[in-house]
Amino acid sequence: MSYTIETIGLTHYYSKGTVQQVAAINDVNLKIEKGELVGIIGHTGSGKSTLISHFNGLLKPDSGKVLVDGVDIWKDKETLKKSRFKVGLCFQYPEYQLFEETVYKDIAFGPKNMKLSEAEIKERVMRAAAFTGVKAEHLGKSPFDLSGGEKRRVAIAGVMSMEPEVLIFDEPAAGLDPRGRNALINLIKDYRKQTGSTVIIVSHSMEDIAEMADRVIVMNNSSVAMQGSVDEVYSRGDELRAMGLNVPEITEIFAKLRAKGLDVPQNVYTVEQGAAILRKLLERGSAK
Amino acid sequence: MIRDITIGQYYPGKSVLHSLDPRVKLIVTFWLIVVIFLCKSFFSLGLIALTAVAAAALSRVPAKMILKSLKPIVIILIFTAILNIFYTQGGETYFSWWKIEITEKGVNTAIFTMIRIVSLVVISSLLTYTTTPTMLTDALERILSPLKVFKIKVHTLAMMMTLALRFIPTLIEEIDRIMNAQKARGADLETGGLVERAKALVPIFIPLMVSAFRRAYELAFAMTCRCYTGGEGRTRMKQMKIALRDIIAIIFCAAITAGVIVLNHFFDAVI
Repeated sequence: MSYTIETIGLTHYYSKGTVQQVAAINDVNLKIEKGELVGIIGHTGSGKSTLISHFNGLLKPDSGKVLVDGVDIWKDKETLKKSRFKVGLCFQYPEYQLFEETVYKDIAFGPKNMKLSEAEIKERVMRAAAFTGVKAEHLGKSPFDLSGGEKRRVAIAGVMSMEPEVLIFDEPAAGLDPRGRNALINLIKDYRKQTGSTVIIVSHSMEDIAEMADRVIVMNNSSVAMQGSVDEVYSRGDELRAMGLNVPEITEIFAKLRAKGLDVPQNVYTVEQGAAILRKLLERGSAK
Repeated sequence: MIRDITIGQYYPGKSVLHSLDPRVKLIVTFWLIVVIFLCKSFFSLGLIALTAVAAAALSRVPAKMILKSLKPIVIILIFTAILNIFYTQGGETYFSWWKIEITEKGVNTAIFTMIRIVSLVVISSLLTYTTTPTMLTDALERILSPLKVFKIKVHTLAMMMTLALRFIPTLIEEIDRIMNAQKARGADLETGGLVERAKALVPIFIPLMVSAFRRAYELAFAMTCRCYTGGEGRTRMKQMKIALRDIIAIIFCAAITAGVIVLNHFFDAVI
């Protein structure tokens, strides 16, 4: 069986050939299945951004391989170019990459580079704009006239319009207020539900990952430290803390409630989960 | 990769050259460069070359680093040498074939210009190896401060220079980031003709400009918040003081100048 993305012994050095040579990622072996929503967590400098820059060939591995749909993306130039369109990468603060005169043109930049027909480009831009909630009346405006949140939507639409098989987000919620964050998380979940594409989220927010991911990969010291379901990974709180990560606040609160003798489960990772459990508990209490 | 570009090649150290007053260093460097062009004979030029070597040894900057600074000018060196050999005629003929003649004067001029260029580069790169860019702009500000009489805002200019230098690495990082983001959207930066390549720069250049202006506004706000109002009444944390070694450096320079003039007088001129 071939995976959507597979890495074999992937290694990348920074400042290669000098005394300061360090492995940014070291012998990473990963398999990402079609349609999965994978969260990659790790503290700053753990190599997660370097890792995802290999998935669409922005960085060339110093050793090891990256396979997309079973094909080595560095096989030849053509394959490399195709992998850029197969694997869409939405960087942190994507709003800083906007450049066109109009929002429409900016969203169309990716599809245009794919050399699609005018009609196809228009269809894709409209689809991506509608999906990300970019208002139709904004399409003719300059992207620089929009607000921060709107800019980010436009930038995400610019990546989504390429309709990649795999969509990668690097810290998608960075710098957003809680409402913006929730909207974005719902957007990503909806996108995945509607298109069935593979989605990879890179974040250091344990809450965000818990809310979205089917599977979690933990990066530490340039390599994969743990992987598994949210439950499997988040139950190893002490190990996570040793890696400079933390279990979500709500999990801590529930641990304290347990310590006080309340009968609550251990595996609570999102506020919604927690709220539901507490509500049930309260109803039971008042019924008595 | 774009990250490999190094600007400002300061080599940290504690040598005498490092501890000289930057103002003195700046003046001495320009002074020596002028003296290089005063040299007319091999002997006077030899004195300067010797000074350059001695200064390099004194700076304790590794010879490898100094040779590295000569690397970009290798082509210029070869080019000038060839031009001089073929176009300067006179004296004994060493080699002649068809219309090409290589003469004594040609060879001498070629060697002379090569030594001159090398000394020039070594001396000026020693200045940047032993002085941080901030120290240099500070020194420049102080040296140019008499221009205030002509209503030239020397402090503002120096501050602009310092800030420009400070933001070069930041902007290089930014270019890197934007390039990656546009490449991820399928931007093709490597292939195509000149016009296409120039067009391909637009998606990088515009976000870069936007972010440079944003940073400039932020910095201006931050400076205003810390009561920056320009050079008026501003004192320095690190005062520059002329020490004994600075005076010795100036005397040394004067001695070399005198030596060059004397040697020019007693020996035949090459140029």
